[in-house]
Amino acid sequence: MNETRIKRQYSDSPEVDFSKAREMRPYLSEPQAMYVGCPGKHGYLDLGFELDSDGKSILRQLDRRAPLIVQQELYFDEKMPDMPCVYILSSGGPNVDGDRYRQDITVRKGAKAWVSTGAATKLATMKYNYSGMVQNITLEEDAYLEFLPEPIIPHAHTRFICDTRLTVHPSATAVYSEIYMGGRKHYNGGELFKFDILSVCSHGHRPDGDELFREKFIISPDRANLRDTGVMGGYDVFANVIVMAPADKAEEVYAATDPFIDRDRRLAAGITHLPNGAGLLFKVLGMEPGPVKGVVRDFCSKVRMAVKGVPLPAEFPWR
Amino acid sequence: MNQRITALTRLLQFSDATFPVGTFSFSNGLETASYEKTVHDAATLEQYARAAARQAAFSDGVAALAAHRATLAGDAEALRLTDSRLILFKMNDEARLMLRRMGKKLAELGVKLFPESKLLADWLADIDAGRTPGSYPVAQGIVFALAGLSEEDLYASSQYGVINMILGAALRCVRVSHYDTQQILFRLAAEIPDLFAEAREMDFADMNCFVPEMDILASLHEKGAMRMFMS
Repeated sequence: MNETRIKRQYSDSPEVDFSKAREMRPYLSEPQAMYVGCPGKHGYLDLGFELDSDGKSILRQLDRRAPLIVQQELYFDEKMPDMPCVYILSSGGPNVDGDRYRQDITVRKGAKAWVSTGAATKLATMKYNYSGMVQNITLEEDAYLEFLPEPIIPHAHTRFICDTRLTVHPSATAVYSEIYMGGRKHYNGGELFKFDILSVCSHGHRPDGDELFREKFIISPDRANLRDTGVMGGYDVFANVIVMAPADKAEEVYAATDPFIDRDRRLAAGITHLPNGAGLLFKVLGMEPGPVKGVVRDFCSKVRMAVKGVPLPAEFPWR
Repeated sequence: MNQRITALTRLLQFSDATFPVGTFSFSNGLETASYEKTVHDAATLEQYARAAARQAAFSDGVAALAAHRATLAGDAEALRLTDSRLILFKMNDEARLMLRRMGKKLAELGVKLFPESKLLADWLADIDAGRTPGSYPVAQGIVFALAGLSEEDLYASSQYGVINMILGAALRCVRVSHYDTQQILFRLAAEIPDLFAEAREMDFADMNCFVPEMDILASLHEKGAMRMFMS
């Protein structure tokens, strides 16, 4: 079915268009349940952080459509008590067949923000269509953002595509992380790498539009053996962290970060420079989400130390 | 018929491991993979070579095909666009260094083999002036087009080059024999047609690769002290 024929007359969320994504073409039937992009399956989030007249960072702009929920900003970071922290929640539970999301996050001049999700994002089994998400993350001069969501768990035969555009001023710092589990590792005797496809693209730009880097994974267990040495090898969890930061700060973080392969903990991490002086790219492989998340947080703490002079606080014991 | 023999000889020449573009000095992370025992026998070497081939198949291979088409169309602007799109897709310092170093060498050699080509002369001038990064796949696309070789020839050579680079390095740093590496090459060659069928339809926006373990090994090499190979 052609994507453009899909009904969308009842939704006022901005269109999420993946009609050009060749890899999703096998998955364009209309779901038998609620149609693609109908209200409740077409989430939208517009978060705008900026400085108020007292110079305090606040969540000034908040617009949302179900199933995405953001209630209000909280100030719970003990090391940066003046930084607004936001959890993105979804009232719909997992991402389901044919849903579409768009998340726009803007951090205006000099402001800072921390954004995460309330729990892991589950990608449910799909039969007809796919779940798609477009993210636009924009940082103005001297802005600071840590985007550290909980892991994404792809169930058997799920299909997910995500396109993230990072537009970051050369003086600003964005930490953008994603953690992908191989699947529901302990469910029903193990459901690792049983999804149909994950297509994940992140691309970084300057405010004038110049594209600095573009990374795209098309991960499909049917097309290639993910267990091959060099791909996932023996690991079950993968994390990718993009840091766009001023060159001197990026160098500080690069120097402070040691890549490693820890055979005892079955954990590995690597760091390199993004092309065109855009910043750094940090990758982690592990067996369980907890330790991988720990490595991601330690790395983010180095970025925060370089840019803001303080580390991340200890993670809450219930997270 | 005689022209085809010349073309095939050119294909062998451009694909030969002794073709002077510096292939032998790179290992695509294999040096570290061997040291870390991630690659330790013929089976793991085959998987690693396959991962490297697939990584190149949907990035370098796509760029090489685009450069081949741009050369046949005489479109220098499209060559520069292809070059910049490939570099911004390369997430690793040593990979970018490798592509640029080999690309420049091939362009320098190419102007001697094809002195009549203004497009290639201008391409080398663009590299020397810093107007374009000058990546290897783009130079391959230009040279293959000038030699009258087809897209299939180019893609086969590109894939062969990546696989053979790893297998050549493996003979120096992994405990495998020539029998092992030749069997691996023989088997992986049979997988190239399917990769080509996909890659020939792909645009820059479709370029993709997923080799996190290789990326981490490359990073260990980049920050480490091992230096038998440059990558």
